[in-house]
Amino acid sequence: MSDKVLFSYTGIFDKVDDIIHAAEKVADAGYTKYDVNTPYPVHGMDGAMKLKPSKLGYAALVFGLSGLLAALLTMYWMVVADYPIVIGGKPFFAFPAFVPIIFEVTVLAASIGTVMTMLFLFFKFPNNKHPLHDTDYMKHVSSDKYGISIQADDPAFNENEVKSFLESIGAQEITPIYFEENEYGYSAKIFEPKFIGFLIITAFLVSGATYFSLNKLMFMTPFNWMMEQGKAVPQEYNEIFANARSMQQPVKGTISRGNLPYEFKGKPEEAERVLLNPLQLNEKNLTMGKANFNIYCSPCHGYFGEGDSRMRGQFPNPPSLHSEKARNWSDGRIYHIISDGQNIMPSYSSQLTRQERWATVLYIRALQRSLNAKESDLK
Amino acid sequence: MSGLDYTQEISVVEGQPSLREIEDLISKPLDSKPDKKYYIALAITMTMLGIGVIALGLSFYYGTGLWGNNNPVGWGFPIVNFVFWVGIGHAGTLISAILFLFRQKWRNGIARFAEGMTIFAVMTAGIFPLIHVGRPWLAGYLIPYPNQHSLWVNFTSPLLWDVFAVSTYLTVSFIFWYVGLIPDFATLRDRTTNKLKKIIYSTFSLGWRHSNRHWQHYEMVYLILAGFATPLVLSVHTIVSFDFAVSILPGWHTTIFPPYFVAGAVFSGFAMVQNVLIFIRKIFNYEHIITVDTLEKMNKIILLTGSMVGYAYAMEFFIAWYSGVQPEQFTFINRAFGPYTWAYWIMVSCNVIFPQLFWFKKIRTTIPVMFVIGVLVNVGMWFERFVITVTSLSRDYLPSSWAYYAPTLTDAGILIGSFGLFFTLLLLFTKTLPVVSIAEVKAVVKGSQPSHGDH
Amino acid sequence: MSSTSIEYTKKDLPSNVTKLGAALVVIGLVITILAYFIDHTRSAFNNLILLMFLSSVGVGSLFLVVIEYLGGAVWSVPFRRISEFFGAVLLILPIIAIPVYFNLHDLFHWTHIESVAGDKLLEEKSPYLNEMFFTIRVLAYFLIWIMFYLVITRNSRKQDVSGDQKLTKKNIRYSAIFIPVFAITLTFASIDWLMSLEPHWFSTIFGIYYFSGTVLTALAIATFAIVSLNEKGLLVKGITKDHYYSLGALMFAFTNFWAYIAFSQYLLIWYANLPEETFWFLARWEGSWMYFSIGLIIVRFLVPYIGLLSQPSKMNPKRLKIMSVWILFAHIYDLYWLIMPTYSKDGIVFGWIEFGFPLLAGGILILVFNMRAKNQNLVPIGDPKLKRGLNFRL
Repeated sequence: MSDKVLFSYTGIFDKVDDIIHAAEKVADAGYTKYDVNTPYPVHGMDGAMKLKPSKLGYAALVFGLSGLLAALLTMYWMVVADYPIVIGGKPFFAFPAFVPIIFEVTVLAASIGTVMTMLFLFFKFPNNKHPLHDTDYMKHVSSDKYGISIQADDPAFNENEVKSFLESIGAQEITPIYFEENEYGYSAKIFEPKFIGFLIITAFLVSGATYFSLNKLMFMTPFNWMMEQGKAVPQEYNEIFANARSMQQPVKGTISRGNLPYEFKGKPEEAERVLLNPLQLNEKNLTMGKANFNIYCSPCHGYFGEGDSRMRGQFPNPPSLHSEKARNWSDGRIYHIISDGQNIMPSYSSQLTRQERWATVLYIRALQRSLNAKESDLK
Repeated sequence: MSGLDYTQEISVVEGQPSLREIEDLISKPLDSKPDKKYYIALAITMTMLGIGVIALGLSFYYGTGLWGNNNPVGWGFPIVNFVFWVGIGHAGTLISAILFLFRQKWRNGIARFAEGMTIFAVMTAGIFPLIHVGRPWLAGYLIPYPNQHSLWVNFTSPLLWDVFAVSTYLTVSFIFWYVGLIPDFATLRDRTTNKLKKIIYSTFSLGWRHSNRHWQHYEMVYLILAGFATPLVLSVHTIVSFDFAVSILPGWHTTIFPPYFVAGAVFSGFAMVQNVLIFIRKIFNYEHIITVDTLEKMNKIILLTGSMVGYAYAMEFFIAWYSGVQPEQFTFINRAFGPYTWAYWIMVSCNVIFPQLFWFKKIRTTIPVMFVIGVLVNVGMWFERFVITVTSLSRDYLPSSWAYYAPTLTDAGILIGSFGLFFTLLLLFTKTLPVVSIAEVKAVVKGSQPSHGDH
Repeated sequence: MSSTSIEYTKKDLPSNVTKLGAALVVIGLVITILAYFIDHTRSAFNNLILLMFLSSVGVGSLFLVVIEYLGGAVWSVPFRRISEFFGAVLLILPIIAIPVYFNLHDLFHWTHIESVAGDKLLEEKSPYLNEMFFTIRVLAYFLIWIMFYLVITRNSRKQDVSGDQKLTKKNIRYSAIFIPVFAITLTFASIDWLMSLEPHWFSTIFGIYYFSGTVLTALAIATFAIVSLNEKGLLVKGITKDHYYSLGALMFAFTNFWAYIAFSQYLLIWYANLPEETFWFLARWEGSWMYFSIGLIIVRFLVPYIGLLSQPSKMNPKRLKIMSVWILFAHIYDLYWLIMPTYSKDGIVFGWIEFGFPLLAGGILILVFNMRAKNQNLVPIGDPKLKRGLNFRL
């Protein structure tokens, strides 16, 4: 007995009204390190014990606001700064659509944070080594009695005084509570080997499971079925067809949508004779022609068709479009050259639709007129 | 006229039991070995679960082609079941949070159990979106982490909101549940004589000492959690409703969906809680803690929320006509008189008409009748989700692709399995944890709180 | 439980408040009548705001009374009378509706038969949106509300004398019937008066939107009256911080509820982006309306939310008074946002006309309350639940 350290004196009460009065008296007597233990929260006990209002609301506020900001800023960075994609025609920063997630994260952060603050910061839990544990006193207050415990480290503590004081306020079963050996000076530590070990094992299990499912499981039957379907894969062997290829040539005579083949291939004279410009000479067509000329023709022919290439000699300069010969060609001939190419110039039929080609012809005509205007143009 | 006396508060716990008696009663199922009936019940639920596992295994092996889902109805049973189970989960948080904020003392006897149901129902619900994506092992891509595609998830998608909402809801419900359990673990720790149980209870009680310096913060945290859980519970089913309502499909896109879904969820959840409680109070002799009066109050809430759902049906119909939008009008006429007429009228009769019987006090307090109505409500609510999901999709904007959706046996197997999972978890819960909060019930027994008059 | 006894003696309300009310009514009337002579269209729109605001106060207060009976609530019993008094506004609603009714053609586009004729949508809606049916409906709302108001408050007043518990039971019955009737009438009233201002627009949640504002208004005005009267000692003794807290918490909750409903409506329409729905919000984003719409979020949600967030602020009488007046202002702001874009498409208009109608509203509320309070007890002293209500602790 003698080497044991005293923790507190405890007393038991039977009635809830008594414990309230007793708590008031203990608080009035000037004790500060005492506790009232009841099996359930008793209304009005805060007032009787003169406790300050709980500050947990601030914890909730701080955690909630952090969650809110974290969600907002993270989403902003991800979809506005890091990898913006237009989704559903909405702006990148589609705030109304962010609200649900912001709200959820706020609630999650605030709930977890507040509870953790209470359990670990305020209560210093887990603490199964408190001297009150495994005492008769605890068995009583855990079930149907109400108890007061005045601690020995209270500045006003005096063993005999406290004993008689407890008696005077009507306590029963007044008993001293002693520290057990391993309890004295105990405080819960975060860096306990057991806890750290637990964390390490968890980390290994989680990462192992993730590695397994993403790298092994996905390639096992039946999880690989999505990858290994009985389907034709391009560029692969396929025994369905006679030539054992997945990709088949289109049927002879197939033409792709909107692309009629050019029928005067290699027949410039015929094209010159037969083809007529179907487009009207108006501003819309000229604008279209100008745009296409500047994109496709001007690199070699120059912006004004003078053969002043911007290719810096990497490609031979073409002759001027303002030559007599070029001016005397019919529209069809120029169209033919764009469609079929000439000398070193390739065909532009895959870049320009027929309409665009004809529009370009119109623009070339306009360019030619600009340097060799007729008398009538001045009127 | 019954001799109701409004001057006196009706005690939520009948018969003034002592604190000790309450504790003994509540912890009895934990101290005693399960009897034969328990094993029979467990065998039934495990069989149902087994059916579900087989159906799921087949679906994994052969693919989701085993289900009835096909164009145009891509959202068949899985989504219907998901919404149904998430809805069931709503009653728990409503009871533990909203009724707590409204200081309804009768909630104390049923809160723990309802919270447990919430967690199990949300767990059950969580299975469905996962299996519905076809490749559940790739669900990790739903989390916004820096992955090898350097792409982020689509934060404007309601399906992603679901991921956040449901996981937040599960976490917060779990925290709420656990915080409520801490004092009870401490009580159990001090009761038990079994060494192993003592270690388990001590670990989970975290060393709770019933200290009033702790109770003060504890009550504050409970209040804060309730304050957060209340908008959270609204948000979860709201976001589930967004899955439908942000689209432009007639019958899905309507602004009343959020509150309407929440009311429906509470409605079905309460019916489920009421159904299960009827058994629990009988089996464990909790008639004095979960009184008929409590059940009657739950029935009133079922009546209220059922009428809200009815209001929403009527509003949808009226505005569909009032809007003058033809596809919208067609959808609603099609619901009531089209190929899914049977489902629609099951829904209306079970959700709107039968609960109106609760206007009569006699029916509200007769246990077999209220049980039947509770079952019907859940049938109706399941069909509500079916009607919403299937009718709109099967008759969309393109008449050439219209088709009739019919579920397959596998679909039915998975649905049965979900019930099996839910009830198995529930049965295990009744034997491992106190299904009624010991501390909270003690706090509302007559004479457990000091009289106010003298200060 | 037996130690408290009910200490209530009837005292007269301070006469200067009545005088203030009368003065406000006179000034308000002068301004509004003048306004009608100068710009009757604009006045009619303002009159509609006034009507919808007073409807909120009246039917919302009745709703609070009813919900107390139905929910078996005890904490609110000591000040149920306050809401009953404000419910009396229902009696003068028809008078306020008369000038609106005579200007229907200025307010509602669908009343013009010639413009309905070319409009396919409006033609389809005409079985509902026509003046005849509209009149019948509006009369029905007023009649139903006033009827329930008279029956329920009469029973409550009778109980002051007799203390008969059967009256409570009776009122519970009426309340149960009133709730569905209330839901339907309030929804259709909001569709008729507010939504049909833009007859092409539709939203299924609209009734709930107006409901949230209505309850909030009734709570706010009751809170203001309760705190002011209790500070002067005119109410029964024993009203504590716990009662205040409940009022504050409810205002806080319904502020959030309003935000939830408003956001749901906005998000769904914004997200789906269908032209037949978005134009209503686009009209509220035109010109200076944009700032007004942003202001709505601040006025209606952020300010009351922050003002009532913390636990002490929900019990602080001063804070409660400020916040309840603010919420009343916010409801007028909200109604202005709902109604006026139909009148002024380019931007907000504000002048002495907009100022005069709220003045009249304030005056009417004070006068109605004081006239009712003159002959009746401010506390339902015969109510069997009163003592429990006073013993209420959180």
